[in-house]
Formats: sequence, structure tokens, C-alpha cells
Amino acid sequence: MPEILLSIDDLAVSAGGVRLLEGVTMRMRPDELVALTGPSGCGKTTLLRAIAGLDDPSSGQVRFNGTTPGEMGWPRFRRHVVFLHQRPVMLEAPVEENLGRPLKHKSVDKIFDRDHAADLLAEVGLTAGHLKQPARTLSIGEQQRVSLVRALLIEPEVLLLDEPTSALDEDSRAAIEELLKRKTSGGECAAIVVTHDRRQAERLADRVVNLKDHLSAGRNGGGGHA
Amino acid sequence: MPEQYSAGAIELGVWELAIAAALVLVAGAVSLMLRLGLEKGLLVASVRVIVQLLAVGWVLRWVFDIDRFWLVAILIGLMVVAATHAAVHRSSRTFRGASLEMFITLVLCGLITTFVVTSVIIGVQPWWKPQYLIPLLGMVLGSAMTGVSLAMDTLLERLTDRRDEIEMLLAHGATRWEAARDPLAAAVRRALIPVINSMTVVGIVHLPGMMTGQILAGADPWEAVKYQIVVMFMIAATTSMSAMGFVLLAYLRLFTRHHQLNVRPIHKRGE
Repeated sequence: MPEILLSIDDLAVSAGGVRLLEGVTMRMRPDELVALTGPSGCGKTTLLRAIAGLDDPSSGQVRFNGTTPGEMGWPRFRRHVVFLHQRPVMLEAPVEENLGRPLKHKSVDKIFDRDHAADLLAEVGLTAGHLKQPARTLSIGEQQRVSLVRALLIEPEVLLLDEPTSALDEDSRAAIEELLKRKTSGGECAAIVVTHDRRQAERLADRVVNLKDHLSAGRNGGGGHA
Repeated sequence: MPEQYSAGAIELGVWELAIAAALVLVAGAVSLMLRLGLEKGLLVASVRVIVQLLAVGWVLRWVFDIDRFWLVAILIGLMVVAATHAAVHRSSRTFRGASLEMFITLVLCGLITTFVVTSVIIGVQPWWKPQYLIPLLGMVLGSAMTGVSLAMDTLLERLTDRRDEIEMLLAHGATRWEAARDPLAAAVRRALIPVINSMTVVGIVHLPGMMTGQILAGADPWEAVKYQIVVMFMIAATTSMSAMGFVLLAYLRLFTRHHQLNVRPIHKRGE
């Protein structure tokens, strides 16, 4: 197992022409869970999107297993480094189809296993009975859990989670946190979790990175290392 | 050809046209009676019909008489520019570069099909003989223009309204093609629906304008029907090629080589 799975070097991100963050440098081990905190609007989501390559960073470089996304191909990179939106995105289809869709992508070398999907659903407090339900009729909290299961089914090596428990009650949140801890400590995947909740960050993460230290000079003056 | 079809069209004079214009007065009277307030609009539209059609008739006569390729080329250029302008302005959303891509698509697809028809099917010499090329191109451009503008509207609406879905797929390892396929297919499907509908009811619900025109001009209905079949197939081919060509060019512009969706160039008309 390589020592460093994901490396982020001197990344700077902008949104709407405004430079938000700069000098973000981070090394992640394959079994690490990092919590990303910082004031509202500081660029946490923008940073996750830039790491996933959904938006281009203003500067800097991301490497997965020492390889840049450009070298390995963006779809293959994103199949290993999966970003989950804060607001869960469900296709207009039953839960089962939502879970199986990413497995149809050429970059994903897995097939849909209904039993495995049902097991994962159970781990996040849902049942196999949910598989046939139209995904958009589920509550936001349920959708959030389905979207996590959808990502786990392709067995990514890094999860980029944008406030994955924001719409959940206490029990569901505890179940998700437990699942994430188990997956990361067992070395199945690493995760970067954006959270506003300082206590959740401390409870969940091996390391907490506060992006306040990386606000661009115009916003807070200074960069640094994470 | 039976003798009764060779007599040619009955020529219309100014009086006959004036009587026809009087028919519009019926519409004007309805508007007045029901206080629809459409009289001015009707008057302007009627004057435009007269002026535009007389002008085009004059230009076509001139082009047919001179019969030079360069002149035909200029006319083709103007027709495609007008079609592009109308198509782009019919769509509620647009993106930077849409006009150029639409122009390229309409020129290529329009000319490919009309070339096949004039040179291979009808066998006109030269293939660009304006008497054949201009009316045929006008008909295919009219339909392709509607199709491409429907395709653009549908595509841009899907890309903006369903951006999260597309990015979710990209974020789970989809290639840009895998993520874009559904919106692209929906756009082409939307472009083809009017063509398929009109092919389905042709001859049953309505007689197409070209066929009616030929019959009124004294052609054998059988010959007019054969021409109309050719035209319907031309329209289907051009509209599908144009819609597909345009959405592919739009796809290449709006999805980057990094397999990202870039909606920044898209904006609502007037914004």
C-alpha cells in the first residue's frame, strides 16, 4: 500500500473570478479521514470540486498514487476519487437504477450486486425495500444515504464528501460516521469530509484542516500547509 | 404526360392579387367584431407578404436569368445566414459561438442533401442550377432551422437544469460522452418530432405547399407527388443531420477535454 494516496500541491481555487483559497498542500494516506472546516463561503466546496477536477483550479496540482489525472485519464481518476454533492443528486428512476448507473461507466470495472447494495443500504439505516422506490420520493436524508451507498458501490479509494450528514437525524448521522470510520480505518478508502460541525470534525477525523489558514491574501492574508 | 397537365399555370394579374388581398379583410373584420386588436398586425403582415414575396420573386428571376455560380453562392450564403439568425433567436437560451456552429451545420447539411438531390436524383446540369437548387435549399433550410433551434433549446435547458445530474455522473467516473448522451439524445429527438409528425400526416391531413404549388402550376399530380416524396426525405435527412451535427459541436464546446461540463458560455436570451 503506498504511503501517500492523494497529494495536493499548492492548489489555489477561485469562484466567480474571486480567488478564494491558495497554497493548499495536503498529503493523504490510504486509511485517513480528514475533516475540512472553515467559515462559510471560504471555498470548501470549491476546493473539493477542484480536487475532483469538476472545476479547474487556478493553479496547483493533484496526484493520485503519484499520477496526475491528466496522465491517468479524468474519468478513471474520478472513478477512484469520488465527489459527492452536499445536496444529494438522484436520477428520475428507482433507487436500484440510481445505485447501478455509475457501474455502467466504462471506467468502472464493477458489476451491480443487489445483495451487496442491500447490505450497504442496511448499514446506513435503509432496507432492500427501498431499492424499488422512486429515488426522488425519498426524504433528503434518505437520498443523502443512497448517494453515499452509490459512491461506495464503485469502491473508490478516496471519497470527497461535502457535508454528508447535513440533512440527517442523530441516529442516521451516527450510522454514517460509524460507516465512514470503519471504511477508512480498515484501509478501504480515504475520505475528506467537509463539515461545519467542529465536534463532528473532532469525533470523526484523524486530522482536521481549517481552511481559514488558506484564505487568499486578499481575504485573510497568507497560505500554509495542511 | 396527360394533355390537361401541360397547359401550365393560369397567370395571375394585379386584379386577381387584389381580390386575394380582399380575403384578408375578412380576417380584419373578425378582429374588429371581436375587438381582438389584431387589425394593425394583420395589415403589417399582409404588406410584408406582398413586399417580401415580390422582392424574392424579382431576385429569383434575376438570378435564374444570370445563371452564374458566384451569384448562387452569394444567395446560398444569405439564405443560411438568415436561417441561422432565425434559429438562434428562436431559442430561449444560447451560448457563445452558437451562431457560428449553427451556420457551419446548416451550410454543410443543407448543401449535402440538395447536392445529392439535384445532381443524382433529379440529374440537373450543373448541380447548382438556381431554378432547382434555391427552392429545394429553401425548403430544407426552413425545416432544418426549426429542428436545430428546438435541439438547441432542449440541449441547453437540459444542461443547465440538470447540471447536478450530469456532474454527479462525471464525478462517478463517467466520460463526458457518457454524461452527455441523454441530453444530446433528447435534443435530437425533439428536433425530429415535427418532421416525423409531418411525414406521418402528409397527404392525409394536409397537402404540402410545394406539391400544391406544382399542381396549381399545371403539373401532373403524379409528378408533383414524386417531387414531394423526394422533398420530404430531404427534409428528414437534413433536419436529423443538422440537429445531430449541431448538438455534437455544442457538446464539444460545452464539455471540456477534462470531462467537465462548462455551462458558463450558456445564457438566457437578453441576459
